[in-house]
Amino acid sequence: MSENHIDHPTPKKYVQIAIVLGILTAIEIALYYTEDIVGVFTDPILIILAVGKFIIVVGWFMHLRFENKMVNRFFTGGMILALVLFAIVMIERASANFS
Amino acid sequence: MSSSHSYPHEPTGVETRKLGMWVFLSTEILFFGTLITTFMIFKGRDFPGIKLTDVYDIPFTSISSFILLMSSLTMVLAHNALEANDQEKTRVWLLATAMLGAVFLAGQIYEFTEFYHKGFELSTNIFSSTFYVLTGFHGLHVFIGVVLLLALWGIGQRQKGLTLEGGMNLEFVALYWHFVDIVWIVLFTVVYLI
Repeated sequence: MSENHIDHPTPKKYVQIAIVLGILTAIEIALYYTEDIVGVFTDPILIILAVGKFIIVVGWFMHLRFENKMVNRFFTGGMILALVLFAIVMIERASANFS
Repeated sequence: MSSSHSYPHEPTGVETRKLGMWVFLSTEILFFGTLITTFMIFKGRDFPGIKLTDVYDIPFTSISSFILLMSSLTMVLAHNALEANDQEKTRVWLLATAMLGAVFLAGQIYEFTEFYHKGFELSTNIFSSTFYVLTGFHGLHVFIGVVLLLALWGIGQRQKGLTLEGGMNLEFVALYWHFVDIVWIVLFTVVYLI
């Protein structure tokens, strides 16, 4: 049934990944409460942290980094389409506000 | 130790059901992408009625987010245990995941109830509508995930238990559950923190 075996992380590794995710979440919450100090960088940092957590869960817990390229393309394709939709609407909203 | 499989007899090299699951998740990204986009259109605009920022409770939602995040760990441990053919651990981790999901749902119901009592209702304004539709649909996905997890746990209780062949079912539920988690990672930042 199967030919190519790729070793997935061990339970210990999964726990370490979960700890990293927990720490990133704690940083997000801390940033929310220190917005006055961090200033304009708060939102970009929060977005970067969310993207980081997203990639970690998709890559390690969903095993996408170990998956076939075809699977990878489908998932990435959906992401790109959603981001393009988001960008178009936001640009349209910004231009509507401007005019 | 777990493993990934290639399927040379399949035209795509990927097990068809598994590919179908990933395609489904891809469409789900577009579904939530649309809801998030709609929410963002109205976020930050002035509407009559009470504001979301006046009613939400960041410490409470942070704990809920952490619980859902940790349920991804218990889910992946269940998957790992099944691949090691450890039925007992698989059942324990599946039940733990379902319980964590149920706690998250209970938290969301409590949060919605609090918002309603404070006057932030579905019909308060168009922004509140987009908030409830977005987070409500995510909650519905969590509910479906909990039902699927409990169904798997129930199958695992039978004499035959969960098998590696049937294990593909657990893998699908695991993919779905992790997807629900990544959607919340985005929602927590976009809806509550930014």
